[in-house]
Amino acid sequence: MPRSALVVCALALLTLAARPAPAQDTTTQRGVRIGLTYQPGTKPGVVVLPVTGPDGDSVRAILQRDLDYGDRIEVITGDAITSTASTQTGGGGSAINYGVWKSLGAAALVEAAVGPLGVHVVIHDVTAKRAVRTGDFSLSGAPQSPEWRMAVHGISDEIERWITGVRGIARTRILYVRGNRVYVIDSDGYGERAVSDAGTVLAPAWSPDGRYIAYSRLERRGWDIIVHDLVTGSSRTLAATPGGLNTTPAFSPDGKSIAYAHGDENGTDIYIASLAGNGRAQRVTVGRGTDNISPSFSPDGGRVAFTSGRSGHPEVYTADVDGSNVELLTPFNFGDQYYRSNPDWSPDGRLIAFQSLLNGQFQVMTISLRDRTVKQLTSEGVNEDPSWAPDARHLVFTSSRTGVKQLFVLDTESGRARQLTHAAGARLGAWSHWLDHVQ
Amino acid sequence: MRAMLRRLAPVAFLATGACFATREDVRSLQSQLDAMRASAAQADSARQAQLDRVIASLGLVRDSLGVMSARVIKMQGDVRGDLYNIGQELIQVQELTGQSQRRLQELRAQLEERNPNAAPAPAATRPSGAAAPASPQGAPTGAQPASPGPNQLFQLSLEQLRRGSPAAARTGLETLLQQYPTADIAPDAQFYLGEAYHAEGNNAAADSAYAVVVEKYPTSPRAPTALYKRGLYMEQQGNLTGARAMLNQLIQKYPRSDEAALARERLRAMK
Repeated sequence: MPRSALVVCALALLTLAARPAPAQDTTTQRGVRIGLTYQPGTKPGVVVLPVTGPDGDSVRAILQRDLDYGDRIEVITGDAITSTASTQTGGGGSAINYGVWKSLGAAALVEAAVGPLGVHVVIHDVTAKRAVRTGDFSLSGAPQSPEWRMAVHGISDEIERWITGVRGIARTRILYVRGNRVYVIDSDGYGERAVSDAGTVLAPAWSPDGRYIAYSRLERRGWDIIVHDLVTGSSRTLAATPGGLNTTPAFSPDGKSIAYAHGDENGTDIYIASLAGNGRAQRVTVGRGTDNISPSFSPDGGRVAFTSGRSGHPEVYTADVDGSNVELLTPFNFGDQYYRSNPDWSPDGRLIAFQSLLNGQFQVMTISLRDRTVKQLTSEGVNEDPSWAPDARHLVFTSSRTGVKQLFVLDTESGRARQLTHAAGARLGAWSHWLDHVQ
Repeated sequence: MRAMLRRLAPVAFLATGACFATREDVRSLQSQLDAMRASAAQADSARQAQLDRVIASLGLVRDSLGVMSARVIKMQGDVRGDLYNIGQELIQVQELTGQSQRRLQELRAQLEERNPNAAPAPAATRPSGAAAPASPQGAPTGAQPASPGPNQLFQLSLEQLRRGSPAAARTGLETLLQQYPTADIAPDAQFYLGEAYHAEGNNAAADSAYAVVVEKYPTSPRAPTALYKRGLYMEQQGNLTGARAMLNQLIQKYPRSDEAALARERLRAMK
């Protein structure tokens, strides 16, 4: 067999191995699996048993909601579950009648107890009729405080990892703009609070470690990039390119630099500046008088996706972070009046989400970086400004489907959407990474 | 005194005698004066009329010039607008050409995948005694699979690079360059070989691969990009003299490229 044929076979096999599973089955992915088997396209049924100890009901409600919002597990609830649960005490599986739970459709049971040291969790495999995983988690802060809720979200994510092999997205938050402030909200829609001073603000973004946020604020001399420390509460201006328009900041994956759009009379171009503030900002785009905005880093930090008007109307392009090797990403036809903008690179590097103007309304779409196939994800109302969750499966976006602008979360695999915010005028959502070191 | 008076008397008589003109003389003089005034007024009127006509003509000329000027300005604006639109359309055409070329390349790869025998014969000269690749036409290949085409190799390699397997990508690209050194896709393959080395963290090998792009394929659109990357690599290595030389070479050879604009900024930052 010729060497090139061997090479192509090897490349093809590697490529096939890299393709995602056709449905929800994630049994081949990393993480500790408990041996559950289920048909592709279905989700394992999981029952969260009543949680004993102080604030157990709140813990149970959060666990159920988080597992449901993860969209990889079918959380079984209802009267039958409540009455069955009341007759069983759990306790390491000794008193659990697995047959009954199996008849109710459960593949796994989550048993949790809140004690003085935290939460003790046991996962039961109903088919194997035994406890397959246990873990202890500490809780911090007063019940229902942001720290306490974050700790419970962390438990949810671990449970999801134990059951499906994929970590959940509960221990994350979403930044957005409402009115004249930047707000933050937990991934389940609770705990909304303002994190910026009043002012004309735009384009919030997270640092990878979740400690810093950056946003654009209108000052007397123009639009500035503000970097805010969520731990100390201090803010400072990124002074790399003072004056003019400085907007749409994005942290690099290593958290050491920020890409942003800087505009003046010569057009708007993307620059990258050190977060420490040393050195000049390095130019990334050569717009020649056109507008280039909304940078988004690839997960490895080697490339940047951005919106550029260099072809006459906005389209999504990618380039190396040094500014070279520019490629048009989104396809368009000659004379096309519609356009595509606001890209966000998925954390797994496979897709870029963007908004596309269709029949006068923005819709959220994704484009595959492998074969450049475009997939439209929304159609109801105006839907714009997508931002990926760290699981590269969920998106938060602004939608007017309720009549006013609100943030919605979309599961890109099942198409299920849920409303995240309920106060009118929420927009420009930005999903954080996992906030492992943030309370 | 008296003698003087006697001498002046005849002179005074003569002088005062001229003042004794008849009334007829005065009338005649008056009529002549009136005639002269009328003639002068008529001449003035004619001149005024002529002047008015000249002024009117000038006004017309001025208006015409104004209209002409406005037309010229509008035409200039139209031409500028048209030129801008043509420029934009050219950029669109360029973008679409690039898009079409990528699509064509993908289609070629698909074609090669579906019909391996249609793949172009490898153009590389092989050492004597080396096994020849599968013949595209009629060769008794039997169960032996035919060689993959350059586009297929390129697509698969690029896919590996994008999904974070630079070593696999590099193997594919090296095979492509070895088997099909004159393929249309060879400059891109050589460039992405540098990208694969860079992704592996082997920046020295990446620099060498970029150098081959510059030397072997100077007319390829990848050449200015490769030169720019070489300049940045030298800057990272602390070789500012070499970096400046490389970036200046880029500006000189490819002055209209995006990389040249970036190089000018890098040179300013390095001062």
